[in-house]
Amino acid sequence: MAATDQPIAQPYDFLEQQLHTKQRGLWAQAWQRLLRNRLAVAAGVILLVIFTVSLAADFSRTVQRYDPTVPDFQATEQNPSWDHWLGTDTLGRDLWARLLQGTLFSLKIGLGTQVIVLLIGVTIGMAAALAGRLSDTILMWLTDLAYAFPDLLAIILLRQVLLGRDWPIIGEGDPQIPGFNGVLLVTVIAISFVSWTTVARLVRGQMLSIKEQDYVAAARAMGASPWRVVRVHMLPNTLSAVIVSATFGIPLAIFAEATLGFIGLGVPPPNASLGSLIGSGLDSIQVHPVQLVWPTLMVATLMLCFTFLGDGLRDALDPRTRH
Amino acid sequence: MLAYTVRRVLAMVPLIVAIATITFVLMHAVEGGPFDSDKPLPPATLENLKKRYGLDDPLPVQYLNYLKNLAQFDFGISIANNRNITDIIRERMGVSIQLGIATFLFATILGLGLGIFSSLNQNGFGDYAGVFIATVGAAMPSIVLAPILTIVFAVKLGWFNVLSSDYGFTDWFRGDFSNWRQVVLPTVALGFLPMAFIARITRASMLEVLRQDYVRTARAKGLAEFAVVIRHAARNAMIPVLTVLGPIFAGLITGSLVIETLFAIPGLGREFVRSVLIRDYGLIMGVTVFYAVVIAFMNLVVDLLYGFADPRIRY
Repeated sequence: MAATDQPIAQPYDFLEQQLHTKQRGLWAQAWQRLLRNRLAVAAGVILLVIFTVSLAADFSRTVQRYDPTVPDFQATEQNPSWDHWLGTDTLGRDLWARLLQGTLFSLKIGLGTQVIVLLIGVTIGMAAALAGRLSDTILMWLTDLAYAFPDLLAIILLRQVLLGRDWPIIGEGDPQIPGFNGVLLVTVIAISFVSWTTVARLVRGQMLSIKEQDYVAAARAMGASPWRVVRVHMLPNTLSAVIVSATFGIPLAIFAEATLGFIGLGVPPPNASLGSLIGSGLDSIQVHPVQLVWPTLMVATLMLCFTFLGDGLRDALDPRTRH
Repeated sequence: MLAYTVRRVLAMVPLIVAIATITFVLMHAVEGGPFDSDKPLPPATLENLKKRYGLDDPLPVQYLNYLKNLAQFDFGISIANNRNITDIIRERMGVSIQLGIATFLFATILGLGLGIFSSLNQNGFGDYAGVFIATVGAAMPSIVLAPILTIVFAVKLGWFNVLSSDYGFTDWFRGDFSNWRQVVLPTVALGFLPMAFIARITRASMLEVLRQDYVRTARAKGLAEFAVVIRHAARNAMIPVLTVLGPIFAGLITGSLVIETLFAIPGLGREFVRSVLIRDYGLIMGVTVFYAVVIAFMNLVVDLLYGFADPRIRY
């Protein structure tokens, strides 16, 4: 194995170099496996298209075509036409523009939530696995507690608490009428605070089993500092499980936001979220059902695509657990 | 078994106290009290109101009173309509339980059936159909499915009422099922996702079990296929399914918030949503703690069921 002409003082660097080339190889292999999974690729492409179009609509009026919040009482409850691709709602607002606005909001919620979930989850899972018995007991009790708290109720309560206060970013003037970005931030924080438990448990479990692996013992024996062992050897090995969990977490967050929006706790009224679109579509279901169709289809598409992408990623990153 | 049950029930106490505490802290962290309105009340009236609801005590005293009342299942008085919250919960619970039972039966019976059917036709047409339903169903939460079902079956086909605004509560335990027409759509909408979930797990664990030696033995000794599948295979395949029943219960409860609001069903879920919208803090706290207790209790029941399903598990 180790060549004899390697200077004895730095065997660790040499081995590490080997490990790194190997590691890149693993990711490339996983990427290849993912590309072979047609369903996952299709889901990824659809998500990319949806994301691009709704982001473009946020910047360019050409894509958005109408202001999603401005009513036009000359054109209420229209069916799809060349003027209004998806029709208009009860107040004559263009449904294409509103759908894209709601979709972008949902995607921001889904992605933003996972950023916070990963930060909290990985930190707590790591601390529980590595920082001794006492911290493990305390952190896992906390995790159990957060898990036992009824999800949606906790989200609603947290949201009320955070929105009711006059925070610098959130309270734009009257705290009773929070701004658009304030609601986005608060919703992301509220959903994150109930969803980090899965990642924390996952990371803790992975870390506990990786800690006992030979390569970690080898790195330690060669004099790598504890932080280096965690950063270079342990964290990258939990990464694949964490990525899969984050991908499955996105549709759950989107669903939670849609639920909030539906029961009237979404974005402030003139704006649209997918949940509030479903809610108002349901109000006029008998006179104008087309208004309900689009947001429903969009939520279903987003959830299906993220689920397929998550399945594909899981199979690609961990071929042993292939179903 | 008894010792284990007692230990688990005792372990529930600190958990519920913690949840009650968090709820209490959260509710008191909300700026502005329940008596805030556009027109400020005269100070004397405000003082009297606060005294009436015990809000003039220092916070620690309020907290201890709150816990003391909770221990006696007394959730206090709803500020919005001046009624005892325990009464409100008791009154609304019936409809929610009814919907919960219907949904649970729908999800488990159909889910198990679909899973077993899929596993027996592995890689056949029936299997692909089953897996397709399970995969699509897993991405169809109630908020998506309910509008679709309503458009198709209520608006277009007219089989059911569009919104069960006239939802009548009939006592199923006395054999009165006359309100079934209003129950079908909410049940399917709420139960489809857990059904798909159960079907997926049942299929995977059935495939595992059907390869075991004791199934071959049962076949070899000439048992009818039905007895092999049901008595030998399915019973053992149930164990992994039991593990997800806890989360499914929790999902049914949160799902009922949506479904009851959507279909205008006068249950506890809709009452909770209403109480959040009008900021009835007492009712919000009461319902949250109540739901937490129900979920903790259901998890205990599921854990005890393991013992029956798998005699190897000893407590």
